Amino acid sequence: MLILAFLQLAPGVFALTYHYALGKYSKNKASSLTLFFIIGVEVISTCLFLSTFFLISIIFFAGFKPETSVTTWILAGILIALGFLAFFHYFRPGSGTKLFIPAKYTKGLKYSAKTIKTKSDAFVLGVLSSVSEFVYTFPLFIVVSAEIMYLGLQDIPVNIFALLFVLAPLLPLFVIHYKFQAGYSLADIIKSRNKNKFFTRFILGLNYLIIAIIILCFRTIIL
Amino acid sequence: MKEFNEAEIKKDLKIDAHALGIPIGAAEIFIDRTLKDAKKTLKNKSIITEKDLERAITKELKKYHADLAYVYQNRDTII
Repeated sequence: MLILAFLQLAPGVFALTYHYALGKYSKNKASSLTLFFIIGVEVISTCLFLSTFFLISIIFFAGFKPETSVTTWILAGILIALGFLAFFHYFRPGSGTKLFIPAKYTKGLKYSAKTIKTKSDAFVLGVLSSVSEFVYTFPLFIVVSAEIMYLGLQDIPVNIFALLFVLAPLLPLFVIHYKFQAGYSLADIIKSRNKNKFFTRFILGLNYLIIAIIILCFRTIIL
Repeated sequence: MKEFNEAEIKKDLKIDAHALGIPIGAAEIFIDRTLKDAKKTLKNKSIITEKDLERAITKELKKYHADLAYVYQNRDTII
């Protein structure tokens, strides 16, 4: 959940969208437009998570339970790689919080944020910016789905975990939304992002490594 | 080579200014002055890069509104 709350692409696009919407429209319209951005992020996050959960449950119910399997090692390896990737290459070198995603794609996202007009535009932009982080979220979805399946077998209310997990990506968006509502500007948000750049990388990297270690140590994952 | 589009820069700056809560009238006046002064600064240069232009505009904008200058300077470093 912490990882989902610390990913920077959707909050960055959201801040830009809110800024440009405020620049072109009234405060109320900007607020309602960005609300659809949030809905877009939530809908696609939930869809992606539930799809992964569905796939994992099929594998789970097919009786594939090699607790010391190669799949566990592969998944742990991917998480360790993502941990290092997040720490060393999440942001591009230099000032600012430019992310390591293709420049053309970033340009497209910025252009979309700038030219947003309708609620459906905002919704689609939310979906796109959330999908773009799938590289970072997909392994997590697999781990969490498998853990939920495992916990579910022991009659623990897994729905609450699932619900919290799909709501986590919204936390930074609501914080930014609140900040804009409270009178903060894009300049303040950029400053705070720059200030916490190292912390973000550190938390992301550390979390991926911790999850990988937990998987390897306890082998509770059932894939 | 890219052509310097003054109207587009002006439009972008106006949107940024409005988003930052600067009154439109005041923003229009100081944006015009900023671009005029930036052009003066760059007049003697034979080759002008995008960074030169950005630096000149940021430097002039800082005189009027520090936050607007900051947003303009960092507009491409957010994502």
